[in-house]
Amino acid sequence: MDVKPTAYSARVLDHFQNPRNVGVLEGENVAVGKVGNPVCGDLMEIFIKVVDDRIADIKFRTFGCGSAIATSSMITEMAKGKTLDEAMKITRQDVATELEGLPPRKMHCSNLAADALHAAIQNYRASRGETIPMESVATEPETKVFVGEEAFIGKGVFYSVDDPALLKDQRVLVLDSGPTSAILSQDLMNYTDRVIFLTSDTPDDAAKTAELLKQAGVKVLFQSRLKEIKGHDEVEKVLIHDLAENDDYELVVDAVVILRGACDAEG
Amino acid sequence: MPEIGALARSKGIAFHSDGVAAEGLLGIDVQRDGVDLLSLSANDIYGPRGVGALYVRQGVRLNPQIIGGGQERGLRSGSENVPGIVGMAQAAAIMAREMAVEVPRLGAYRDRLISGVLSAIPHCFLNGHPQERLANNAHFRFQGIEGESLLLSLKREGISAMTGSACTAKTLEPSHTLMSIGLLHEEAHGSLEFTCGRFTREEDIDRVLEVLPGIVERLRKVSPIYQGNEG
Repeated sequence: MDVKPTAYSARVLDHFQNPRNVGVLEGENVAVGKVGNPVCGDLMEIFIKVVDDRIADIKFRTFGCGSAIATSSMITEMAKGKTLDEAMKITRQDVATELEGLPPRKMHCSNLAADALHAAIQNYRASRGETIPMESVATEPETKVFVGEEAFIGKGVFYSVDDPALLKDQRVLVLDSGPTSAILSQDLMNYTDRVIFLTSDTPDDAAKTAELLKQAGVKVLFQSRLKEIKGHDEVEKVLIHDLAENDDYELVVDAVVILRGACDAEG
Repeated sequence: MPEIGALARSKGIAFHSDGVAAEGLLGIDVQRDGVDLLSLSANDIYGPRGVGALYVRQGVRLNPQIIGGGQERGLRSGSENVPGIVGMAQAAAIMAREMAVEVPRLGAYRDRLISGVLSAIPHCFLNGHPQERLANNAHFRFQGIEGESLLLSLKREGISAMTGSACTAKTLEPSHTLMSIGLLHEEAHGSLEFTCGRFTREEDIDRVLEVLPGIVERLRKVSPIYQGNEG
């Protein structure tokens, strides 16, 4: 190689060029942590498979710059075989050190890899109904952020709706976070005729709620997950993943309501 | 350009244009285009770095940005960089002579690059107009991958390019030009610009077409947002 590419270390370039553990995991005892958003150009998914409280397998997929890919790859190697508690203690600095350093401007990318791993572990524990021991959380305990969410706070992403009239005539997507979100959806129908209720439940799981929502005119999307929030300056579209069909599609909306309540419907 | 010039003039607005990208590629005619002020640089036409020129239409009045000795009619004080000025004039003379051959040569490379990349790589788009563009410029976007990682992979193959990605900019914001032509953030981040120049050869285009599809494919395998990946 006769061209000096960047200030990246040989280790970073190696992991970038030959990323380890690329891919996705599915099935039992698998959880995923997703962080970042495409607005700032980085997006990571880390999948873990847990056996006897240890990370038995780990995979990642990353959209981002060279160091974002390298840090994701690196952290999969560092976390493999570790207990969940041990893996929670891996910090962004650990990843950077293991990679023989990162350019200063790239330190935030490295931060994401550790966050994604921690999010995966937290999601795994949450899915098993375990409470998360806060002292073992190495970075801020932000549980789950949807892709694009942070960029649109106040620009179509709402965490609470005190006055539904503010969403008058808007196309509103409400994420299922239990009874409060269902009641809000019905209430919103008094102000707009396009309210979509997104739930990962099947129609059978949520028969009662579904009936009530249907009567109110709310459109219910079963077995679906929000994957991504898109738009220019404000929310324009959402990417929905249909769990039954294992397919993604886009939906045009003006607002996304995320009531982060007791129940996060994501698995 | 002439329309903008005419509109500006009808409203009494001074019209400044940055001609740096067009130097040596487009005929620049300040009369035809109705330009009052035009910036040019020497290094973009293979002249010395650190020298530029500002065309000022007669009658346009400017306040100096650098005051002092009153050189250059008081508009830019400081001793003139004579070697730089001579170098720029020489570079412009060479460029004027070569343009008639260079522009079609680069245009052919550009067209080959555009059609080659678009046909070899799925989910890849050309930014800007297919023909109404500078002869040396091919600007793509690749769904699902980020520009800096593309750049890094290309550099390892000895190919230099540019990107709208935030990661290469100090601001960590994607190119405002790409955003204003209507691209989403992730699309702007995935943009890649190739420019040809005096030292570009046919083999260089071959080389890009040879390595780029593999690089894009490799990075897409790692990407969570490439539509071609299942799930």
